[in-house]
Amino acid sequence: MPSLRAHGITAPLPTGFEGRIFVRTPVGGETTFPVAHFATFALPADVGDFGGGAVDRMGANDIFVALFEFGPESLGRPLFARQGLPRSLAPVDFRPYVLRRGLGGQSGTQWFFTESGRPLTLYVVLGSHARRGVLVPRVNSLLGSLDVAPVDTASVTPVPPGVPFSGGRWN
Amino acid sequence: MVALVVALGVVVLLLAVLVAGLLRSHADILKSLHDLGVGGGDPGAADADPQAPHPWPTSTRGPGDAVPVTMGPPLPPERNSTSAPTVAGVTPDGHALAVSMTGGDHLTLLAFLSSGCASCSGFWKAFHRPGELGLPDRTRLVVVTKGPDREIPAEVAAQSPRSLPVVMSTEAWDDYEVPGSPFFVLVDAAGGRRIGEGVANHIHQVVDLVRRADVDARPLGAVGHGPVAAGGLDGPERERANDAELRRAGVLPGDPSLYPASLDDLYGRSDQPGAPAPVRRTA
Repeated sequence: MPSLRAHGITAPLPTGFEGRIFVRTPVGGETTFPVAHFATFALPADVGDFGGGAVDRMGANDIFVALFEFGPESLGRPLFARQGLPRSLAPVDFRPYVLRRGLGGQSGTQWFFTESGRPLTLYVVLGSHARRGVLVPRVNSLLGSLDVAPVDTASVTPVPPGVPFSGGRWN
Repeated sequence: MVALVVALGVVVLLLAVLVAGLLRSHADILKSLHDLGVGGGDPGAADADPQAPHPWPTSTRGPGDAVPVTMGPPLPPERNSTSAPTVAGVTPDGHALAVSMTGGDHLTLLAFLSSGCASCSGFWKAFHRPGELGLPDRTRLVVVTKGPDREIPAEVAAQSPRSLPVVMSTEAWDDYEVPGSPFFVLVDAAGGRRIGEGVANHIHQVVDLVRRADVDARPLGAVGHGPVAAGGLDGPERERANDAELRRAGVLPGDPSLYPASLDDLYGRSDQPGAPAPVRRTA
């Protein structure tokens, strides 16, 4: 089983999934954090953090998953009170109106939580709400093996805006 | 006189030794070829012992078959020469990236390149303008270099096109048995299998082969936009629909394009300025 590993996130990929784990280049003094994308279709080169530019390419049997990390200032906030990545979603967790982009037929779910001391959100899009009974188990096969390691704060050093990621830090 | 006879005798003796040596060498070559499974006849003992082991399955190969050549490490048992495993590795700037070869109906062109190989430089440059390559629309181009253990990421990053995925993965080179760079593998996502692979010296050669594979990989009737594609016709109705679509395209009875004399007539020459677009099947 192929596996992705970067920025403290490890993701063994079930059959049919591809993905990427990256940190966007900071622009204008912002601080960026790791983002992971997983999909059962060909991800375009440039995809928004929550699937912009990709979800409109989904077929009825496709899945898109985004794992997005927030800054450490979010730790302890009520929004991230849930501990642990949701490992087993249910078809009833998906709603057609829980979508960043409301595309007809699709369905989504979003969870905020803290895993290994890192505030994260999980956003999942199904290509077809009607096929959620078939697609959700595939989502769970991915989530069940995801691993988020604790942030090594000693290795975190600020990156000036405009300097691409050079390794050695997670955000 | 005696000296002349002796000299001739010595010369004849030397020539005899030389001929014997050549015959022995020839026999060794024939024996080696036989051991590899080519050539006719058998000077050795293998024929005498029908139970003697062969280096290949005797049920599938005969004396006239080509010799299998292994260019890389042996594949795992669950894979074969057409399997197309996911390419997973890191990007030159330290992120993680995995590209699946299944899902969808597109073609994936894997370009196995190295940062230091002279013959790769033309491809690196061409890939900076992927829109000008002339690849079919449904082609996904992915560059694969060896991993950071064999390549210097900064050198790969310096040549990497920004708009294309670049995966650094030594494992992918092993999975696809890449003999060296540049090397190209074409994968049909619909079947999840390799449909072509090989070496090329120029991007136009690759593009030409991908175009042909694209046409071949399309199901009959999938290209046209008329009733043939929509209705799944058959028999005389299908023939009439084909004729109608050809007429709409300006191809009338007797048109030279209906009688191609070569592959170039059929697919067009991509390396010539102003070359016609490839002829696509409509039925």
